[in-house]
Amino acid sequence: MTDRSSPVQLSARHLTRHFATRVPGKLFQAKRVVRAVDDASLDLVRGQVTAVVGESGSGKSVLARMLARIISPTSGDLVLEGTPIPARAKRTLEYASKVQLVLQDPYASNNPVHRVRHSLERPLLIHGAQKHEVDDLARAALSRVSLDPPERFLDRYPHELSGGQLQRVSIARALCVKPDVLLADEPISMLDVSVRLGILNLLKGLCDNEHLAILYITHDIASARYLADEIIVMYAGQIVERSRGTALVDTPTHPYTQLLIASVPDPSDPTSMASQSEEHSSFAVPEVGCRFAPRCPFAMDVCRTSDPPDFKVGEGHTSRCWLYANESEAVVEMALPERRREGETTKT
Amino acid sequence: MIADPLKTQSAAKMTESPQHSVAPVSARHDFVLEVNNFSVDYGVGEDMVRAVNDVTLKLRRSQVLGIAGESGSGKSTLVYAMTRLLRAPGVISSGDVKLNLTNEGDPEEVTPLSLVDASERELRNIRWSHVSIVLQSALNALNPVLRVSREFNEVLKTHRKGMTRSQRHDRSVELLKMVGLNEDRLARFPHELSGGQRQRIMIALALALDPELVIMDEPTTALDVVTQREIINELNDLRSRYGFAMIFITHDLSLLVELADEIVVMYAGAIVERAGASELYQAPRHPYTLGLLNSFPPLHGERRELAGIPGSPPDLAELPEGCSFAPRCPFAMQRCRHEAPPLTNIGDSDRSVACWLHSGDPSVRVPVELSREMNPSRTRVTALKERT
Repeated sequence: MTDRSSPVQLSARHLTRHFATRVPGKLFQAKRVVRAVDDASLDLVRGQVTAVVGESGSGKSVLARMLARIISPTSGDLVLEGTPIPARAKRTLEYASKVQLVLQDPYASNNPVHRVRHSLERPLLIHGAQKHEVDDLARAALSRVSLDPPERFLDRYPHELSGGQLQRVSIARALCVKPDVLLADEPISMLDVSVRLGILNLLKGLCDNEHLAILYITHDIASARYLADEIIVMYAGQIVERSRGTALVDTPTHPYTQLLIASVPDPSDPTSMASQSEEHSSFAVPEVGCRFAPRCPFAMDVCRTSDPPDFKVGEGHTSRCWLYANESEAVVEMALPERRREGETTKT
Repeated sequence: MIADPLKTQSAAKMTESPQHSVAPVSARHDFVLEVNNFSVDYGVGEDMVRAVNDVTLKLRRSQVLGIAGESGSGKSTLVYAMTRLLRAPGVISSGDVKLNLTNEGDPEEVTPLSLVDASERELRNIRWSHVSIVLQSALNALNPVLRVSREFNEVLKTHRKGMTRSQRHDRSVELLKMVGLNEDRLARFPHELSGGQRQRIMIALALALDPELVIMDEPTTALDVVTQREIINELNDLRSRYGFAMIFITHDLSLLVELADEIVVMYAGAIVERAGASELYQAPRHPYTLGLLNSFPPLHGERRELAGIPGSPPDLAELPEGCSFAPRCPFAMQRCRHEAPPLTNIGDSDRSVACWLHSGDPSVRVPVELSREMNPSRTRVTALKERT
């Protein structure tokens, strides 16, 4: 049934999630639809880190929760190891054992009244481990995330650990059911600066040495560049730019990506200070046309009337922006099949 | 914000000279704030934890002092205690904080005020009108059931007694314009505004009474990077126009290098390094500063493995003997584990560091990473000044 040799572990096909909200003050009128994620497609590949970058409200966390099947998509499909999963089907234990999610705040995602041992052994028991082996498995999981020696941590409570240690426990908890896919939703943004790199290097090691497929969600584009094999930039629920390798950071094409990179504090480049300082009316996402158009310095007439498709701007690099319409034919849907073919050729 | 305007009915008028314990000094003071050997404890007796340990720093007029440090390094405790906002069990255990206030009418004359000894009445006079604070979470700092206009109104009503209703409105609109907001925001409630807009309103409120010193406690940490950039640019612009001094607290050292004139790095409650922003960035001297600088993945250049800092931040209740950074320090020597290094000047420069590597002992070889020279042609500060 499953094709374990396929490098693509988990694919999302046109995942869309809309939330209906009431318009304030208009209780009985039509509900407004928030398009949290629109038509997002991506492949999580064995031994690769895929980074999703976006500001708060861009839909990156909703995407991660759909991939973990905690939120069900409005439309679109998930394909796990070549097997399509119907959108409305219930999340199964088998799915959970293959795809695990690590959340942002380790103090909120670890139960404060239970010891680390409990957090690690409970998923093991649920996923069918025998009682006599759970202790060894829990120790092994802690060693995998460099919490050595494990006995120093097994009987601690979450408040006795530092943020970085506790995030390692969260990762160990996700790893103990031996998943193939790890979804990390802003795993470092709540941590101290000095321990962030440790967590990033841990994820990198899991990817390189144990060939996990990792989705790394972040708002910090520099850390995405540090870690990722593929980078995806989201804006207002849409994937606006994606590239293999670091092309997207080195030569950003979409105006939003350019703004994002210009905004990063960069002490080595004094010109980075020169950017606009006017207030942007946040979340004024237009119903028609490009969603970034109201904030875009290059917006043209076409941007306000029709939504741009993906245009190819480089090898494995696409940009959802009309500025690149003349340079290439629209390559809607081309990026993904293309890489799939490559993945298959490298395998053979 | 600092003062509760509803409770300051009896606040003295701004024009009235406050009753200070020290007589006015005629010599012009360059420093707006001087902190000497300042220590703050949480709790007393056996369970006492020293959160700020023997901190000395000075802030010049119109300058930006950046305080960098991780959570638990004491940076927020330091400014709360300094401004006497710290609540029990926090106790100021030693040291002195001197605020040099300029007098109305004669800016050449300053009146020093000891904040540690100041009475509630004196504090009420200086809070908001001379020293204001912008807090990290603007959502919690603004009253959720009051319109924005009410927040402005109350500050001005309390501290500027002579103003009429329409003058107060005009001033509120002016303040909003200053931070790049439209005047229709005055009628909004905080929940109707985005995080960036709320933080701009906090900044406008902080500047409402032309303070000499504005303290920013991680004002951009909860914001995303584009909004953070907008706020930072706004602050730089406001500061060059109005000339207030600023203390900017953050854990993001790369942000401070852009913004601050001088940076102090705190670790476990003490200052470990103090230097000009570009000196600190280009030629760090303390191993912790070096580690922090290496903890930010770069946006340009070759992708290479970064190590960060091993271990985790110390528990203040169980600080190691000697230098508190020694257990995580790659250059730690025998001496570091027994003796805590004092904060001393390096040679005859005006930067200082608390590290035995720079004690001047000829038998100690300073690692090459910590002895890099400054490249004067590349200073960020000069590049910025040329443009403005």
